[in-house]
Amino acid sequence: MNTIVRKQMSIHPDVMDMLNNQIGMEMKASAAYLAMASWCDQRELLNSKAFFYKQAEEEREHAMKIFKFVNDNGGAAISPNVTNVNNEFESLKSIYETGLEHEISVTESIFKIFKAAREKNDFITEVFMQWFVSEQSEEEDSFRSILDIFDLMEGMPLKMIDERIPTE
Amino acid sequence: MKNETANSYEIKHLTFCKYELITPNKTITLSFPQMLELRRNINELTTFASLTRIVNNENFVLLFVADKQHLIYLEIPQLLHLKEEIELFFHAPASILV
Ligand SMILES: [Fe+2]
Repeated sequence: MNTIVRKQMSIHPDVMDMLNNQIGMEMKASAAYLAMASWCDQRELLNSKAFFYKQAEEEREHAMKIFKFVNDNGGAAISPNVTNVNNEFESLKSIYETGLEHEISVTESIFKIFKAAREKNDFITEVFMQWFVSEQSEEEDSFRSILDIFDLMEGMPLKMIDERIPTE
Repeated sequence: MKNETANSYEIKHLTFCKYELITPNKTITLSFPQMLELRRNINELTTFASLTRIVNNENFVLLFVADKQHLIYLEIPQLLHLKEEIELFFHAPASILV
């Protein structure tokens, strides 16, 4: 009985559910960053707007990477619902803080999938998730570095801070 | 007991990629993607929130299966039984993926 599913799918069904949940999280992150990009764009914060437009695209790429992985391995990828996107922010600094918080929760979620894949001997997913583990540490690092700039330049005009934000 | 079996939904494996959902009044052939679709719908219908909603309203669900070719009628016990049936079908012990 159990081998039946194995013939059709090379990933574990429970892990597949988690991957589908992750697709939703990445798409939600993409939408959240797009809202942040718009806030910055309207206020002529050029480096920040470039940063968030790029983040929005990257998150979508992450979602697509998982989406195709699920289907390529015989599973069913689900196009997620993205609702309750926040478009109101109080400050540029709070935007970056929210971004970091979001990245931390994504990292936790990725660790959970990694752990489940390992526990269920789903090595294909485990290896696939390795890229996401290193990607998350880079993402968190870039947000932390930017928040450091805010601390170092406290009290300076917003546009001057924005000019210090790395665009690449 | 006899009655229970007669009213329950079962899943059978036919060939490499053909499955059967046996319902009280018909037998529906399913492909593997259609099986995955059924699994997802049943899992969604049997969350605590969803079950509560069903019990507080009409007490049954109508569900499309096999790419909307068939409509099945499920009362709560049938829904729960089918969930178990699907779980059993998809349950793979850790060693299976090695
Ligand atoms: Fe991501």
